[in-house]
Amino acid sequence: MAVAYMRKLEEEPETYDSKFSSLTKGVNVNVHDWVLDQIQSDQSILEIGSGTGSLASKMVSKGNIVVAIDNNIQMINYAKQKYSDNLENGALLYRLGSFTDLPVEDRSLDLIVSTFLLSEIRPLEQQIFLRNVWKALKPKGRLILAAEFVPSGFWKVSFKIRRWWFKKKLHRLRLKSTFLVKWFFNYIEPIGFKIGNQKKWKHGSIQAIELLKINNNGEDEPDYYRPKTKKFKGLVSQLRIYRCLFTGQIDRVPIEPGIYKSGNPGSNSPIIVTANYEYTYIKLMRDLQCIDAWVLCLDSNGINVWCAARGDDFGNKQLLEAIEATDVRVVSEKKTLILPQLSAGGVAIPQLPEKFPFKVKYGPVWSKDLNQFLSERPVRKPDSMKLAKFTLLHRIRAGITHTTFLFRKIFLIPIIAILLSFIALNNVAIIWWLGELVLWIVLSNVIISIFFPLSKFTRKFIAKAVFFGCFSIFFIGAISWIFHSSYLYLLLNFAIYFWITFFSTMSFSGYTMSTSPKEIQAEYPFFRKINLTLIILVVILLGINIIFFMLNIIN
Amino acid sequence: MKMTESNQNSCCSDGTDTVQNILNVLDIRILINEPLCTGCGLCAEICPFGLPKPSDNGKYEIKNPELCTECSACQRNCPTHAIIMKEHVGCGCLWDSRQRVKSKGNSCNCS
Repeated sequence: MAVAYMRKLEEEPETYDSKFSSLTKGVNVNVHDWVLDQIQSDQSILEIGSGTGSLASKMVSKGNIVVAIDNNIQMINYAKQKYSDNLENGALLYRLGSFTDLPVEDRSLDLIVSTFLLSEIRPLEQQIFLRNVWKALKPKGRLILAAEFVPSGFWKVSFKIRRWWFKKKLHRLRLKSTFLVKWFFNYIEPIGFKIGNQKKWKHGSIQAIELLKINNNGEDEPDYYRPKTKKFKGLVSQLRIYRCLFTGQIDRVPIEPGIYKSGNPGSNSPIIVTANYEYTYIKLMRDLQCIDAWVLCLDSNGINVWCAARGDDFGNKQLLEAIEATDVRVVSEKKTLILPQLSAGGVAIPQLPEKFPFKVKYGPVWSKDLNQFLSERPVRKPDSMKLAKFTLLHRIRAGITHTTFLFRKIFLIPIIAILLSFIALNNVAIIWWLGELVLWIVLSNVIISIFFPLSKFTRKFIAKAVFFGCFSIFFIGAISWIFHSSYLYLLLNFAIYFWITFFSTMSFSGYTMSTSPKEIQAEYPFFRKINLTLIILVVILLGINIIFFMLNIIN
Repeated sequence: MKMTESNQNSCCSDGTDTVQNILNVLDIRILINEPLCTGCGLCAEICPFGLPKPSDNGKYEIKNPELCTECSACQRNCPTHAIIMKEHVGCGCLWDSRQRVKSKGNSCNCS
């Protein structure tokens, strides 16, 4: 929701406080007051993510010693300037720093405060945050957090709508949105905290929580959190597969990142690393057939391995973060991580830090070969394990995902517009035409996904698109002839068949794996011109179609 | 097309410029710097299109460089940095390209 917009405000420290207050409708002030109410005097406090430094200075006024850190140097400089009076007596210190490496000694603090930081950090980072805080706190220390959470029930809907609105706004400004704090409450107890006081504002969309440090294991170390086993067999998981298949190109479907178990893994079982896309997880677990293995799902943001690796969502950063946040170092004596081969486009083994505790090995491309890979451990993988072939089965799945993408993102609004205009014109025959249009879109994608290898003669996607466009004039034209047996109808519509298939082929480029981003980016401006010309032609033909329908010349 | 490419590069002055120039001159996307190659074969294990192939002297060479998608998997994992290529950010998706072509027009995003 509103907090998603923080990223924009952080660019200007001078106006951050007032603008953030108006964003949260003043709740942030209430949050600060509540936090201050929980604090007595004479405590050593660390504030993580201090921003403009106002809360830190108020805590000092209550007679505490405060170290405030933020990873934004502008914010730190601004705070130092604004609260320079407080700095002199040594009770307040502003420093550049982050939760990943707290600038304090272990077991040295009474209290750690952090407001509106959680939605800036990713799930595994939240676990690292909690663990580092635990280490820095004295045995009976406290953590006071405030953050934006997803409210429950009816309010969830309005929350999601408002968040979607802010995300659109940020997208236009080319800024990344903050993260949704989804699973945070799961981490609290396993890592070693107990919820104390709690206060909710705005139906629970903003909450402040007091967490009390407890010692779970008596070892003076925080524990690790491990997500609950996720089912990968049965009807529900099959429905989840379909959900991913039908929304693939648009929706991210993340599962909780962390360690999962295949079979009953022990200290001698291999460690397999993969993405946290639900489809990837279910497929991988099914293909492993319950052999004993640890499965480490990195936080790839709910994206499949290949796309995540090419888009900075599956790389060294995510790998290192997962190694730090989870107990993967201790669950197995095996010191080799098996990564999917397609993640090599994002992971860089030579760039890993020297003290990286594992050897990294790239496994097969497809998870179906994983069992064979694990049992044979080939030094050189056979071609079947390492080549990304775009087989008929892959093409059919890609075709399904692509068709739903086209309907949702490209053709939905035109179809509704045509439908409304047809209703306004009160002509049933034209509704049939619309039905045919939907059929042509589906057929285009069937043609592309089945016959894609025929276009191997060229690597230029525009050439492929023209090839399939011509193909569909004949193919769809033939079907259309069965319906109408009219040359006039074909004449009016052949350009529409061509355009639909031309456009679909271009849009299909992302699925083939062998498309080069450089080539397609170079082709894009030319594609745009052709596409615009075709759209104008299609709209004109559509108009003539409607006139002919109205005059009952064709039916 | 080459003209526009060198224009785009003129605003980013990092070491990859030389790499790009070499590749432009040779009119090739990717090649293995033979003296640096140790013949470990990791690139051949990683490439999803099987382009690196062992040559007669025990080292590797890229067969069919025109099929390379510049995904950089081999380059970023090569232990001796023997692979010469320029990584191209983005995936092969038209809609990703659209976004990147658009943002290129606004500013130089080669940080």
